[in-house]
Amino acid sequence: MTDTHTSSSDVLLEIRGLNKSFGGVKAVDEVSMDLRAGIVTTLVGPNGAGKTTFFNLITGELTKDTGSIRWLGQKIDRIKPYQAARKGILRTFQDLRLFNDMTVEENILTSIEPMSFPTFRTRAQRAEQQERVEYALERTGLADKRHTLANDLAYAERKFLSMARILATDARLWLLDEPASGLDPQSYDRFLDILRVEVKKGVTVCIIEHNLDIVISISDRIAFLDRGRLLADGDPETVLNDPELTAIYFGERA
Amino acid sequence: MEAYLLNLAILISIYSILAVTLNFIMGYAGIYSLAHAVFFGIGAYASSYTALNFSASIFITLPVAMAIGAALSLVLALPALRVRGEYFVAASLGLQVLAVTIFSEWKGVTGGIGGLIGIPPVNIAGLEIYKPGEFIFLTVVTLIVVLVVINRLVHSSFGRSLQAIRDSESAAAAFGKNVPLIKTISVVISAALTAVAGALYASYLAFINVESFMLDTSVLIMAMVIIGGTGTQAGPIVGAALLLLLPSVISYLDFLPQTEIGSIQQIIYGLGMALLMIYRPGGIIGRKKVTSAGGSK
Ligand SMILES: Nc1ncnc2c1ncn2[C@@H]1O[C@H](COP(=O)(O)OP(=O)(O)O)[C@@H](O)[C@H]1O
Ligand SMILES: [Mg+2]
Repeated sequence: MTDTHTSSSDVLLEIRGLNKSFGGVKAVDEVSMDLRAGIVTTLVGPNGAGKTTFFNLITGELTKDTGSIRWLGQKIDRIKPYQAARKGILRTFQDLRLFNDMTVEENILTSIEPMSFPTFRTRAQRAEQQERVEYALERTGLADKRHTLANDLAYAERKFLSMARILATDARLWLLDEPASGLDPQSYDRFLDILRVEVKKGVTVCIIEHNLDIVISISDRIAFLDRGRLLADGDPETVLNDPELTAIYFGERA
Repeated sequence: MEAYLLNLAILISIYSILAVTLNFIMGYAGIYSLAHAVFFGIGAYASSYTALNFSASIFITLPVAMAIGAALSLVLALPALRVRGEYFVAASLGLQVLAVTIFSEWKGVTGGIGGLIGIPPVNIAGLEIYKPGEFIFLTVVTLIVVLVVINRLVHSSFGRSLQAIRDSESAAAAFGKNVPLIKTISVVISAALTAVAGALYASYLAFINVESFMLDTSVLIMAMVIIGGTGTQAGPIVGAALLLLLPSVISYLDFLPQTEIGSIQQIIYGLGMALLMIYRPGGIIGRKKVTSAGGSK
């Protein structure tokens, strides 16, 4: 991967001069960044760097102070979260936010049903939905737990259910907020495999991740945030070999 | 004695409709309303006014009651559902207080404090139903229809959306759910079905006044749902039956001082409710462990 900008049609999401403050804290400070189609962009940076806030601004969960966000060239500045989802921008939450009193299967099913008015599904719609649910269950290894309440799942299973909800959709951009944190090595492998397969199919991913092994193995591009500022945005080697960035990264985490 | 039991059965089925329709928004959408009696009242007044002035045909009175109940529920839903849960409870309480004033003052429609008298019986294609032995079929059939409608809704994509919103509003929105719109629709559906109970109640008694539609009724309906089991199918009906049977059972215990029955009843309610919430927070029918009722972010 090179750092030069390819043609603008490759850019799914174009972010320019994004700012967000909470009281005196600049959580996101003049961030400009392109999320390019079909690749994995990894957001790294110490805790409190503004990574989650960055996601919240993209999906409209929070309103930005200044700056612009374009999706496929179209301004989506005042978008609400449900509208972002309907455009094909889906996210996971750092704290998961599963539908705790619903079963695993219901969690996935409801995630592919954005309609507001009561509708009843035709047989064909049911079959098509069920197929997607089965795919998500199978890929995440949750098929045996389909009737378990989300609340009763183990930690890793909850993380995978969070992925399964997104996996069943046909979203174009996935914003994943620390989806792999706290997973055991075996789950890591499953997680990486899910990501690779979907990216190969054309999904674009922006992922927040701390584990350097994972960062190295999945990233096509790395963006480094610190105290709200984008300190680097480039190919993995360059960013990871920058002594200044590593100092900040490990310094903050020690 | 038979007439007494029949009357009780009719009231239980009507209150079951009220509890089931409140449970629809409370148990599945996490919307706690203290204005349920308002829509009960609106249904009663709207259908009575229609029956007294235009037609007593159930094919006219019921749709009118439902339409007005649905339309007026927007007064509550549109502003209140855009804010957080606690504010909705407060807004619904405000509406309940306001509605009581309107019910008691708007003489032209509600008959004021005195209420409406001589409400015509239900008329189904020329057949007048006023004998309790016949009316019970009407209320039970209506209850069953309401149960079927709500059951189908709950198990549809709409019902899943409501539950998703109840469990996590932000996650539901992140998956494309228009949270305020879906909540509004659920409140409208609930109010329309609640108005049906009001229409039946008014034509059964042939007399209504504001006392049936005050805050204590809203609280009673909410207690029925919570005691029976929020978010369960049978819970609200069990709760309605229990809370309506309790006063009669207590009044049969003749060792109790009859003049104090009222306060004894209150004590039993309060104690029962407290014990239930400690030992079975999910209600009589509900699961023992209740999680995130009322919802996280
Ligand atoms: N809703 C909020 N209200 C106030 N401050 C917030 C809010 N969200 C985030 N912050 C603050 O913004 C900064 C960045 O937070 P966050 O985006 O969660 O960082 P990260 O995800 O990189 O760990 C932190 O100082 C945090 O305390
Ligand atoms: Mg974070």
